[in-house]
Amino acid sequence: MDIQLKRGLLDVCVLAAIKSEDSYGYQIIKDMKPYLELSESTLYTILKRLETAGMLTVHSAEHGGRLRKYYHITDAGLRRIEDFKRDWKEIESIYRFVTKEDHSHE
Amino acid sequence: MNKQAFLDRLRDGLSGLPREDVEERLTFYSEMIDDRMEDGLSEEEAVAEIGSVDAIAAQLIEETPPDEDKSRPKRRLRAWEVVLLVLGSPLWLSVLAAAFAAVLTAFLTVWVVILSLWVVELALIGGFLIGAAAGVLFLMHGGVRKLVLFGAGLVLAGLAVFLFFGCRAATKGGCALTKRITRYIKSWFAERRMQHEAGN
Repeated sequence: MDIQLKRGLLDVCVLAAIKSEDSYGYQIIKDMKPYLELSESTLYTILKRLETAGMLTVHSAEHGGRLRKYYHITDAGLRRIEDFKRDWKEIESIYRFVTKEDHSHE
Repeated sequence: MNKQAFLDRLRDGLSGLPREDVEERLTFYSEMIDDRMEDGLSEEEAVAEIGSVDAIAAQLIEETPPDEDKSRPKRRLRAWEVVLLVLGSPLWLSVLAAAFAAVLTAFLTVWVVILSLWVVELALIGGFLIGAAAGVLFLMHGGVRKLVLFGAGLVLAGLAVFLFFGCRAATKGGCALTKRITRYIKSWFAERRMQHEAGN
């Protein structure tokens, strides 16, 4: 898959994983597992990117005698998901156009 | 491999990145291993699931955005830079010497004050000893002056006891300050060296 496209998709996936409630690294990976395999390093990069972009905030909370980092989606993050949904409609229509060409030649 | 060994090797693998970036990544992986262990995996299994350290380090370094990657690649000095360095030496050498002298002066100022406190302390003790001697002479031969001298000696002894605590506190403070400054200078050099090694 095109790397830019994949990167954008993964960003939205991670935002969706923390949309309903704050979550932490391992939980995000587990939540996404049925849909796509995500390595820790990839997740780290995505979280960092989203934090820099202001789409999520990070806070540490005590858990079982240690600190765990929780990720919280911001309004900008929520908007990103909505934008993605809208974009997807456009992509779908582009897809239909592209495949229609294929069918007409068959 | 256990968790500590994993984190140590990851630290080695990330040595090209700035220190705080390395710590942040290590914290992230440490949490990932802890969460897996909490999920019922053994330490070894948890580490094994995370994957190969070398691959992770390579990916993390590769995916660190350039603006976050503050470590500049080390390169050889160009000829004109060497020329500039040599020509500019009267300027930067003297600035460097001045900076060194300033630090040294700060050190000396602090320690000279502490030293002078101790000298006063010694003088007070000396005064007390003379007073005590006068007291002994007064007992043997009598004489008001010797008695006054003995009294003054007692006053000096009292002052000496007070000042001793002050001297001790000042010395401790001076030592702590010296240690801190030395450690700071050392860490500064260590960082330079680390960056240098990372660049090679």
